[in-house]
Amino acid sequence: MDMNIETPEDQNEENSRRVQVRFKTKLKPPQKVPSNSIAIPSNLTRFGLSSVVNNLLQAVNPEWKSEPFDFLINGELVRMSLEQFLLAKGISAEKVLEIEYIKAVAPQKEEEPSLHDDWVSAVDGSNPGFILTGCYDNLGRVWKAGGVCTHILEGHCGAVSSVNIIKSDVCFAACAGLKYVTVATASKDQTLRLWKVCSGSWDCTISLWRTNDSDAAGNQVSIKKRKGNNQVEEPQLEGEAISTLVGHTQCVSSVVWPQQETIYSASWDHSVRTWDVEMGKDLSDIFCGKALNCIDIGGEGSALIAAGGSDPILRIWDPRKPGTSAPVFQFSSHNSWISACKWHNKSWFHLISASYDGKVMLWDLRTAWPLSVIDSHKDKVLCADWWRGDSVISGGVDSKLCVSSGVSIQ
Amino acid sequence: MRERKKSSAVEVSSVKKKKEKKTKDNNEPREQKEKEESQSIMKQQKNTTSRSKKEKQRKATEDYQSLRESELSGDEVHGTDHDVDNADDHHEEDQTDGSEGHRGVEESDSSEDEVAPRNTIGDVPLEWYKDEKHIGYDISGKKITKKERQDKLASFLANVDDSKSWRKIYDEYNDEEVELTKEEIRLVQRLLKGKAPHTDFDQYADYVDWFKYDDALHPLSNAPEPKRRFIPSKWESKKVVQYVRAIRKGLIKFDEPKEEEPKFYLLWGDDSSAAEKANHLAYIPAPKPKLPGHEESYNPSLEYIPTQEELNSYQLMYEEDRPKFIPRRFTSLRSVPAYENAVKDSFERCMDLYLCPRVRKKRVNIDPETLKPKLPSRKDLKPYPVACYLEYKGHKGAVVSISTEASGQWFASGSTDGTVRIWEVESGRCLRVLEIGEAIQYVAWNPLPELPVLAVSAGQDVLILNTGLGNEEEQRRVKDLLHVETPTAPDVLDLGLVEDHLLKNLLLALMFTLDGVFGRMASQGRLPLHVFHPTRSIFFVSTKKNIRVYDLLKQRLIKKLETGLKEVSSIAIHPAGDNLIVGSREGKLCWFDMDLSSKPYRVLKCHPKDITNVAFHRSYPLFASCSDDCTAYVFHGMVYSDLNQNPLIVPLEILRGHTSSNGRGVMDCKFHPRQPWLFTAGADSVIRLYCH
Repeated sequence: MDMNIETPEDQNEENSRRVQVRFKTKLKPPQKVPSNSIAIPSNLTRFGLSSVVNNLLQAVNPEWKSEPFDFLINGELVRMSLEQFLLAKGISAEKVLEIEYIKAVAPQKEEEPSLHDDWVSAVDGSNPGFILTGCYDNLGRVWKAGGVCTHILEGHCGAVSSVNIIKSDVCFAACAGLKYVTVATASKDQTLRLWKVCSGSWDCTISLWRTNDSDAAGNQVSIKKRKGNNQVEEPQLEGEAISTLVGHTQCVSSVVWPQQETIYSASWDHSVRTWDVEMGKDLSDIFCGKALNCIDIGGEGSALIAAGGSDPILRIWDPRKPGTSAPVFQFSSHNSWISACKWHNKSWFHLISASYDGKVMLWDLRTAWPLSVIDSHKDKVLCADWWRGDSVISGGVDSKLCVSSGVSIQ
Repeated sequence: MRERKKSSAVEVSSVKKKKEKKTKDNNEPREQKEKEESQSIMKQQKNTTSRSKKEKQRKATEDYQSLRESELSGDEVHGTDHDVDNADDHHEEDQTDGSEGHRGVEESDSSEDEVAPRNTIGDVPLEWYKDEKHIGYDISGKKITKKERQDKLASFLANVDDSKSWRKIYDEYNDEEVELTKEEIRLVQRLLKGKAPHTDFDQYADYVDWFKYDDALHPLSNAPEPKRRFIPSKWESKKVVQYVRAIRKGLIKFDEPKEEEPKFYLLWGDDSSAAEKANHLAYIPAPKPKLPGHEESYNPSLEYIPTQEELNSYQLMYEEDRPKFIPRRFTSLRSVPAYENAVKDSFERCMDLYLCPRVRKKRVNIDPETLKPKLPSRKDLKPYPVACYLEYKGHKGAVVSISTEASGQWFASGSTDGTVRIWEVESGRCLRVLEIGEAIQYVAWNPLPELPVLAVSAGQDVLILNTGLGNEEEQRRVKDLLHVETPTAPDVLDLGLVEDHLLKNLLLALMFTLDGVFGRMASQGRLPLHVFHPTRSIFFVSTKKNIRVYDLLKQRLIKKLETGLKEVSSIAIHPAGDNLIVGSREGKLCWFDMDLSSKPYRVLKCHPKDITNVAFHRSYPLFASCSDDCTAYVFHGMVYSDLNQNPLIVPLEILRGHTSSNGRGVMDCKFHPRQPWLFTAGADSVIRLYCH
């Protein structure tokens, strides 16, 4: 049973060829279309395909509200007209084409930016309840949804360069402002707990810090007394770098510690190194030829390394691939340095990158073009992260924390 | 008598007659006479043999020619019985003379004597008798009538039948046919082969030495055999040595084997090239007119015929650009009209031939690409700064000077607005703003990372500033240091700063100022540029046009580098210390290799305006120059540790982006200490970072 569907792009239907397609999906029944093959014009793009699917859904369910979809053919996202895609990939147009559709990944709405006093240098959204930001005014801030600043973390005497939340209820802010590292953590329940953390620094080394919870656990200080708290902490912490990983020849710009035993680090000496925590040695290194600014681990099997640096290209390596240090993916839509990159913690395919050109881009490994470009910042974006699995948070030189929500990643 | 036989018949007969006479006269002196005569005959014979041989040959060839003629001419007349009889008569007559004479005649190869010609007309043209009935007269004066002519068919048949016909020759003179004997034929054949006519004549007979040695009592010379006959010749060997030397020196050259020229030549080749090869005065052929093609046909294919649009477009063209011939189509050759341009065309062709300056131009056929030096590809020389990704904005006035911290985390900039700013490289954030209040001339960061101190020259003062960076211990040390700091000499523009041996150098350099090097310069109203050698105690000072190199320990001038520039504006030294670059006000950049000479190794003319600063990278083989034309040039400057290899200089990139302000462009450029990045300070108050 063939159906002809009128779509917005059917004006010049007469001189275009038709392709037999069948839509399939892994989505739940209200979004499922009947699995009949239909003939559609081959000059449809993603938008056209999306309206075809929406029409089909509307035919089944009259109350259906149209919704953007993305389309996969042979595991690759369609980013041009169907005809061009088939030609480029060498797929026969004679057979019935199986097109899988997924929900389009794009931010639905832009929330009101949260203003800071100075540049937002670090952001962490790993806790679904709040966002932690670090700022150049030496303060850390905790934000609730809706742009409400609930807590201000004082204590650093230099700009906060990086923040991280450890466990679900504890956050910690690290400052590597002036060649020395202070570690302070503060949390909602006003207890301090310090865990084993690691930090990279300008002296080309990575230090491992151990903090015992005993002294901190009893140290119940209210938020208002946080200043005093930090003064207590400082001398104690300085002696506690338990081991130093030496190997980089230039400053270590970014460190991630995804698993118990390995640390990944990126450095301005153009290399990405993998360290064994117990041994304190580097297991492998990947050279890329550019100074690197950020690194993150994620993707398929949490093994892919994404890194961005002093050029507009976001590179992704697969360290499991033997023999080569060539990146498996290169995304080059940015115009300037990449300052941050983060994998989605559920999806294997999605990651975001922030760049000094003021854009945050949302990427899917299955296509070479960005899924969406969030252009909410007016100046350099310094940091970006996922929040709650469906929002992208970013902070930049314009002192704003921007939240783009409604990113539906199943 | 054997010898006599060989003599010619004439002589033989004369001898015979004499003999007969003598026998008649007296017998006594006969023996003697005979002896004398035989000798004289022998002499005569010697003379005559050669002559007679020649004659014989001549005659034989004549015979042969006539033989051939007769063979060729179909209308020969066969000899008759009369002829034969006649010949027989002669033989008989001869025989009557005597057996000896007869033998001589037989032996003789001369036919003149043996057979007297039947005809007696003598040596007159035979055509005189052509129309007569007779061919001449015989010896008795009677007419010899012509024989009847055989008709051709009969003579042919006779020829075919007669096996001897090939030997027969028609003698026109005597009007008879002569049959050559086999001997005569053989003789003719031998002559044709170039041999002697007679088989028994040996051309190459052994030489008969008539001088008799046997009965000579004494040899001609009784001298003993000289020694030189037994030893190798001294002069010969000298000559040989001379030749050998000459050959070795190359004075004597042996002919090289000639290259064989190809026997074939290009038949269809261009005439002009063939003319070039000739040695004689070059003939330059006129250019050939273009041969007609398909479009000149009276009925060309449709694709040759221009459409109406094309015809209209021709009208819009210039007269010269229009096609000379517009193809048209005719149904038949008959309907083709006369060519309207025929006269014009031929006139133009004549004018072309007449006026065209046919001069052979000797052109050196060199591909200009080959004259370019071979430079490595820019791709192989990566990394080098390419694009600007970061801008550092904040200054209000032109940024005059920048300096990077040793680790490359921060850098400082000084501006004419009277502030010094300290920036973070990575993020582009301005960390500190230090108000000086006076236009900054120069900033320099302490090369030691543990003391983050900044030296700033502004107006008449040099200020040592605490940057406030670094951890507490470092801060404490900085404070200690700055507490005891005393002002330094006011007329030093640039500070090489605190590193130990450099400090020593600095102090020594200050001693020089007292010696007058600086003083003289200062009196001219200019402050000299100077730079220290990175490892040794050598000091470079620039005067207006030259660079003076001083050894600070020995306190004397080592070298004077002649730049050839109008005015030196900046100098920088390679981190290894052996190479120096000098920028000039006219936009030229000189590279000095200290090992080579006091003249520049390379002069690069790149900037159209003043070069404001030059810089070397500390670790990468890069150097840069910035100029008032708002650009910075990046070069690859590889210095090899191998002394035999000269430095390799490759221009890599022109970095643009700055805008001009008050006629000034880029004021300063500095490389990042660790990355192949370049900072440029512009008069437009922006600092840019160019990354690879």
